[in-house]
This record gives sequence, C-alpha cells and structure tokens, in this order.
Amino acid sequence: MNPHDWFVEHRVAFVVRNLEAAEEKSFQQHLPVCAECREETTRLARELAWLPMGAEPATPRPGFKRQLIERALHGRRRRWQWMVPALAAAGVLLALAVVAQERGRAGRLLAEKTSLQNQLDAIRDTLVIIRNANRVLQADIRMDGHDGGITIFADERTHRWNVVVHGLPAAQSNQVYQFWFITAGGMVRGAQLHLDETRPAFLTMGMPAEGGAVMGAALTLEPMDRPSSQPQGKQLAHLML
Amino acid sequence: MRPLALATAMMHRYRVPDHAPRPRPDSPAPARVGHGLTAERQSSLYRRLAARDEQALVELIDLATPWLLGVAQGMLSDQDEAEEVVQEAFTIVWNRIDLLDEQAGGLLPWLLRITRNRAIDRLRARRRQRQKAQRLEAYGALGESWTAPREPDESAQPGWHVHEMVHSALKQLPEEQLAPVRLAYFEGYTQSEIAERLGIPLGTVKTRLRLGFDKLRAALAPIKDWVL
Repeated sequence: MNPHDWFVEHRVAFVVRNLEAAEEKSFQQHLPVCAECREETTRLARELAWLPMGAEPATPRPGFKRQLIERALHGRRRRWQWMVPALAAAGVLLALAVVAQERGRAGRLLAEKTSLQNQLDAIRDTLVIIRNANRVLQADIRMDGHDGGITIFADERTHRWNVVVHGLPAAQSNQVYQFWFITAGGMVRGAQLHLDETRPAFLTMGMPAEGGAVMGAALTLEPMDRPSSQPQGKQLAHLML
Repeated sequence: MRPLALATAMMHRYRVPDHAPRPRPDSPAPARVGHGLTAERQSSLYRRLAARDEQALVELIDLATPWLLGVAQGMLSDQDEAEEVVQEAFTIVWNRIDLLDEQAGGLLPWLLRITRNRAIDRLRARRRQRQKAQRLEAYGALGESWTAPREPDESAQPGWHVHEMVHSALKQLPEEQLAPVRLAYFEGYTQSEIAERLGIPLGTVKTRLRLGFDKLRAALAPIKDWVL
C-alpha cells in the first residue's frame, strides 16, 4: 500500500467529513497537489449532493422564516446601521477636534492680535508723544567706533517722554545701559536699556515720582554687578531741558 | 446550453430508472412533485440571487428552510443552534452567491452542504459528543422515527420527491451499513467515534461506510445533476 492509497481509500470519508480532524487536514493539504483526488472528490461530492435531503424536514417555528429574511437581507444594512452612529460619532469627534483646533487657533490669533494691538498702541503712543512733544533733546554718542545717539521727545502736557537710542553696540555681558533722570533732588534711576546696533530702541516713560522737578537726563554704561542709586560707570550722554 | 438550464431541463424530463429507488406509490410523479420548482423558477432563482433580488431570497427561504433545518436539527439536536446554522447558510448564500461551485452541485445542494458543514463544525467545536453519547442510549427509538416515512400530505413540501428518493436509497442499505451512515452523515460523528459508539473495530466501520456510501452514490446517481 503506497501513501496515495490512503487518500484513495478515504476520499468518500473526506467528502462526507467523517475523518478525524488531523486526517481531514492531511487530506486538505493533499488536494492541491493531486489532480486525481481533486477530480474524484468533486465527483463524489456531486454524487452525494442530495444525500442531506434524507433528513426529515423540520417545520420552522412561527416567525423563523421572517427572521431569516430580515437577518439575511438586513445583515449588510445592519452593518450600515451600525456604521451610521459610528460615523456620526466620528463626525462629532471630528467637529470637536476642529472646534478645539479652531479654538486653539483662535486663541493664538487672539494672542497675536493682542500683541499686535499692544505694538500698535505703543507705536501710536510713541507717535503721539513725538507729535505732541514740547521739547526734543538730542545728543550724538560715539562709542567704540560706533556713531549713535539719543533723542528725547518730551511731552510736557502728559508728562511723558519718549526716548530713542540708536547706533550703539550691545553692552558687554557685565555691563548695562542705564537711563537717568536729572532732577532737582539729584540723579534718579530710570530704565535699563538693552540695545541692539541694528535697530533703535524706543522707550516711553513717565516722570519719576521722587527727586522733584525733572531737569534733564543722562545715559551711562553701568557695571552689572554693582547696582547703585548714583551713576558709577561711563557717562555716554548728558542732556538738560 | 448552460449547466443550470440543462440540469433543470433534465429534472423536468426525469423519470425514475429501473435501478433507482422508486418513490412511494402515493407520492406525486417527480415532474410534478416539486411544487413551485418549475424549471423557469429554478433557473431564475440563481440569476436573481446573483442580481441581489431580495424576493428570490424570500422564495429560496420558503423552499429550503425545512430541509436545512431538518439537517441541522438532526445533527445538533438543538433547535436554537440549528436555527443559527440555517441563518448562517442563508446569509452566506445571499452575500456570497459568487462562491457557488456548480460543478459540485446546484444551489440547494450547496445550501445543504453549507448547513451540514456548519453543523459539523459546531459539533466538533463545542464537543457535544458527550451529549451525543447520552442520546445514543435512546438510539433505537430515534432511529425508528427517523426512518419512518411521512404521511402523504408532507409531499406538498417542495423537494419532497428528492427526500423520498434519498430515503428509499437509505432504506435499501443493510442495517449494518445504515447505522454507521446515519451516525456519520446525519449526526456528524467521525469514524473513530462511530467505532466507539457501535462497539466495532475502526476498520469495520470504514469498510461499512465505504460500502454504504458506494451504494448511496449509485442509488442517487439519477438525481446527481439536478440543479436548483
């Protein structure tokens, strides 16, 4: 008995599914490589095709045929029906995501708008001061081969100054540009300036609360590590009203 | 002529050959017994199903459900499971009519095969053999009712003539072959399980099954090309 005889002997058993699981699997693996067995099992299946009709018919319970029809027909629809809420939910999620994204974008735009508005307000303020300035003080500053200067637009009506410093190099790491008010009571520390040679620095400020009447202004280069209420560093400009 | 049309035409011309089991005398002639199974209807069912005609599915369900349910209930002995299997079979037919291999038979044989295979899969997957063993205790009584012919009014069932032919073919088997064939084909037992149930050697079971199925093939040869 050669190995193929086993398949020949068990063709019917395979067709009617009487083989053990392992045998059935073995037969299934054999079929793709054996045309003869494929033809024979097809023929046997056809010859026994009506054999299940030997079973007695069973009367379906009431409603079973309707159930069969509905489930067979609506099986696919049911998937769609299942998909509709899923798609709706996905749509809602997408909308929420878009809203969230838009909210984020709106927030960013709002922040940007606020920033731009602030810049615009600052520019307007600067222009207002410059336009309304009663006095304009200006001094050239030459420093380390750079030609710069300081201009003060003084609006005496609002008691605000607009200070523009340009053309000066950035301070060394241990130094800082310091603006001073010259008052009747002495020098009063104003704002520190972080200068960049490439563009002018604009500074709008009100008059100091201390020191009395403001008589002028000065710009110095102060050591960073020794802050003082009085100028100690190199004086760059000295302007009097 | 297409195989489907040829087969349905053959069904119309069908006469029981001398060597084939004859229908019971009180049953209608084969050409008429398939109430609703006219050649036109049969050939159109497949085409309409392929064209997603829902009414065709309704007609097929009307026609085939009792037979499929009979196969599934006979194997599973569980009405709920049998209904699930039949449901699966119709769903496959409706959704995958393109899988029908006409070389292996027609539409109804395909449905029967799907149903039976699904039932076998369930039997094996759920290891119902223990329950089967208990039912085997009452095998004699069940077997008797199983082989008992239905009353003539049952012949109104479409396909009843096929059932009677198969039934006659089965009845012609000697009991020593019929018992293993019943267990193997209609109750889903494997050969080794049958040997255990019947208390006979596995080789004997194989021999009896082979002889029994050979006789059945010969007896059913006249209707093997029927196509629904």
